[in-house]
Amino acid sequence: MGLERLEEVRASFLADLERAGVDADAVERVRVAYAGRRSGLLQELAGGLRELPSEAKRDYGRALNELKKLVEERLDEAKARVAEGRAASADRRVDITLPGRRLARGAEHPVHLVRRRIEEIFLRMGYDVEDGPEIEDDWHNFEALNMPPDHPARDDQDTFYIGASHLLRTHTSPVQARVMESRQPPIRIVVPGRVYRRDSDLRHSPMFHQLEGLVVDVGITVGHLKATLETFLRALFSDDVRVRLRPGFFPFTEPSAEVDISCIFCAQRGCGVCSGSGWIEILGSGMVDPRVFEAVGIDPERYTGFAFGLGLDRVAMLQYGIPDLRQLFAGDQRLTRQFE
Amino acid sequence: MKFDAAWLLDLLHGAPGAEEVADRLTACGFLVELREPGIGGEVWEVEVTTNRPDAMNHRGLAREAAAATGSTLAGLSIDLAEDGPATADLATVEIADPTMCRRFCARVIRGARRAASPEWMQRRLVNAGVRPISAIVDVTNYVLLELGQPLHAYDLAKVRGATLVARRAVDGEVLVTLDGERRTLGAGMPVIADGERAVGLGGIMGGADTEIGEDTTDILLEAASFDPLTVRRAARRLGMHTEASHRFERGADPGLPPVAIDYAAALIAGIAGGTVCRGRIDVCPSPVERRRLRTSAARVSAFIGLETPAERLCEIAQALELEPEGDGGDAIVVTVPSFRVDLEREADLVEEFVRHLGFEAIPARLPVLSTAPGRRNPNWELVDRARAAAVSAGLAEIVTWSFIDPSLDAELAAMPLCPGAPVELDNPLAATQSTMRRSLLPGVLGAVRDNLNQGERAVAVFEQGRVFWQAGSGPAESERLAVALVGPLPGRAGQDLDFAELKGVVELLTDVLGFPELDWKRGGAPWLDEAEGAVLETAAGRIVGLAGRLAGPVADRFDLRPVTYVAELDLGGAAREVPLPSFVELPRQPAVTADMTVEHATELSYAELATVVRDLASELVEDIGLLVRFAGEGLPPGTVRTTLRLTYRAADRSLTQLEVNELQDGLRQGLTRRLDVRFA
Repeated sequence: MGLERLEEVRASFLADLERAGVDADAVERVRVAYAGRRSGLLQELAGGLRELPSEAKRDYGRALNELKKLVEERLDEAKARVAEGRAASADRRVDITLPGRRLARGAEHPVHLVRRRIEEIFLRMGYDVEDGPEIEDDWHNFEALNMPPDHPARDDQDTFYIGASHLLRTHTSPVQARVMESRQPPIRIVVPGRVYRRDSDLRHSPMFHQLEGLVVDVGITVGHLKATLETFLRALFSDDVRVRLRPGFFPFTEPSAEVDISCIFCAQRGCGVCSGSGWIEILGSGMVDPRVFEAVGIDPERYTGFAFGLGLDRVAMLQYGIPDLRQLFAGDQRLTRQFE
Repeated sequence: MKFDAAWLLDLLHGAPGAEEVADRLTACGFLVELREPGIGGEVWEVEVTTNRPDAMNHRGLAREAAAATGSTLAGLSIDLAEDGPATADLATVEIADPTMCRRFCARVIRGARRAASPEWMQRRLVNAGVRPISAIVDVTNYVLLELGQPLHAYDLAKVRGATLVARRAVDGEVLVTLDGERRTLGAGMPVIADGERAVGLGGIMGGADTEIGEDTTDILLEAASFDPLTVRRAARRLGMHTEASHRFERGADPGLPPVAIDYAAALIAGIAGGTVCRGRIDVCPSPVERRRLRTSAARVSAFIGLETPAERLCEIAQALELEPEGDGGDAIVVTVPSFRVDLEREADLVEEFVRHLGFEAIPARLPVLSTAPGRRNPNWELVDRARAAAVSAGLAEIVTWSFIDPSLDAELAAMPLCPGAPVELDNPLAATQSTMRRSLLPGVLGAVRDNLNQGERAVAVFEQGRVFWQAGSGPAESERLAVALVGPLPGRAGQDLDFAELKGVVELLTDVLGFPELDWKRGGAPWLDEAEGAVLETAAGRIVGLAGRLAGPVADRFDLRPVTYVAELDLGGAAREVPLPSFVELPRQPAVTADMTVEHATELSYAELATVVRDLASELVEDIGLLVRFAGEGLPPGTVRTTLRLTYRAADRSLTQLEVNELQDGLRQGLTRRLDVRFA
């Protein structure tokens, strides 16, 4: 007890107050600790006065009063700073609910989004992605694919002709023929691209996009085709999608299969998209017809293979719920910007 | 094709319910698309593929259903009583060209009454989509729907010479067909003629002159088999498509005419009365041969990926009436019935096995393939790099038509990127879509207009796609990228769109795409405003792009009121592969920047000024950039003020400002000697 003790308290008070800064709660805790009525340190120090010898009481009392005054003043100042701080920080506050200034972001067309997703699935399975001309010759578009002139199946593919020898390709399959002409198996490719048919209504557009797949090797089976399509369609849509193969007819494959997936909109309960059938027709496929192998110079006794094709626009419409095919080619940036 | 479900099920013995029959048909390749109520039962809409003409009738489809459900096909019972004179004494038939007509059967029915067909027959016809007319016509349709054999009935009294000849038409021959159309025939078309003239288009439609009428008493009935290609070519040239031609084009069963004509004659006599004359005329110059096909259970199993015993395959063949002969071992030999025109090779036979084993039963196993990673064709890499660059610039991708209006296309001929003569379609859907585009700009500009019409205030779009032209060797195509902007750019609100904004986008694209150094040269592109238009030229003088503000008249042409900036790049000018970036050691010494403001005539371009500055500058200058360009107030007319910022750096020491100031002074003196410039 004594003046040294007062000096200690004074120093610790100043340090504590300094530390409290403009934090209102901290300043209040400092006040209670030093100037609190019941248990403040100053109260305690005043109690010590009695124990002092009388000659020391006067000096101690004066020093204690000075300390009290200092504590009061400094606490007042600190409280003022707290109030000031509050006001200042309120001035700096931004309305954090105002919208942000966006950086520029472009967007890909949904058909290309779908194309790249499907390419990615097949690239991961080790397929090459091939390309070919949109203006084709009759041989690659039809004849090499077992559709000689006057073949009834040509009726199903209304064709835009360019002079006697050229046409706009009606499917991506001519690229199959080109690849097989240029190299021997093993072949494992997909071919995306733009195709044309002379047809225009709600469900048909004279220009659309397909993706074609082809695998040729020794010992390729119908079971391989089935597993490949199941794997692909589950990767594209969802793991629980069901896949159904139905026998069909294409001139360039035999046997051929139409491939349906379980309706992704109604869980096969029946809805407008699947016309109540629970199934959505999604692609065409089959085992490469030996006549195609003969046409392109691959030995059909040694090799077998499968091929498949699907409409990219149709997948985009299904996946994104776009009702009208022609909307995809209207050049409307609002449509694309939905896919940023 | 429409089927009367009750009729179909009547032809099956021991079949399961309709539901299961429909499911099994779908599973073996005959998709039952729709089942709807008809008269007294259901009507099924069934998709029959073009290779299966034999199933385009009730009995043929029932045969498949029987095989698919393990039931049996009811036999065809024909209750035919012949009487009176011999048919051969009343009429004669001749096949003049066996390449056009393989078989020709005829019968005569005398004294048939005019009658309506019975209710049960009418019901079946209506359900199958055919309108009942009269007993005789209805019977021919009924037999077509049940057996698939087209028939034709002539009024015997009108057939001159009571003779029918199957021959090819001579050019210019005229025939009025049943639909009342007067048709001029081309050489080679299939004709049925009587003693004097054509009385029908074989396999397509009968003639009006010999049609059954009110007063017909004696009927001459025809059931023949025509060559698919001959019928197809004639029908196409005449623009005709009939129930008969549809079937003959796809392949008719040469074994069917005698059966069908007996069946029809019996039905006519039963309904309309009359006498079926004795004997059937059946002209068939070459016998109907049946193909034999071979395979083995081992080959089939290996192809399918499912071990299947020969007995199971023989069962399927048996159900399809392929008369399999097993040798107790692995080999399978079948004899193809005449109605299966589609079964020509082993592959066709294997397809039958797959169809009836069912895809459901085949185990799905992924093929084991070599493990090389997939590679993308370099062209796909290029176009996707272009698309990604445009997206990174904030643009939205659009896809427009590859064909455009030829009048619009014609205006492109004067454009620097026009590759050659246009490619025109022989049979466009519309005159305004008859030319393959030689530039992406017309499509993109049309889209800009449409977007503005939709109320969009700013448009920032790109298209990546091909252009087409006639090269010496035939049609050619190449990849392009086009950009169109109506400002401000996305993410640049408040910044007016100007040439520099467009140029920034184009420079981003050409950088990412690895174009070589490009000169921006004024003019040369008539669709661009002369003041704000450029062509982009390589050092070798090849033009690979254009960019600028759309010229007023072109904007008017597209009805574009706001200022529009466009660019188009020929991706053939881009690097096929972008080289790997190579690291440059980071500088250790600080840089010192110094600005220089130059006043000069407007004619002196920034590029020229910068080139001279670079030429004169100390080797310590590592970068010369534009800080600001000022024109206007305080400057004499025809002059501008350009402030350059030069960055100095020495590799081995810190440069002092004093050193740099001296270098700047030297540069200023050099510039005044080389160019007409003043310093502010």
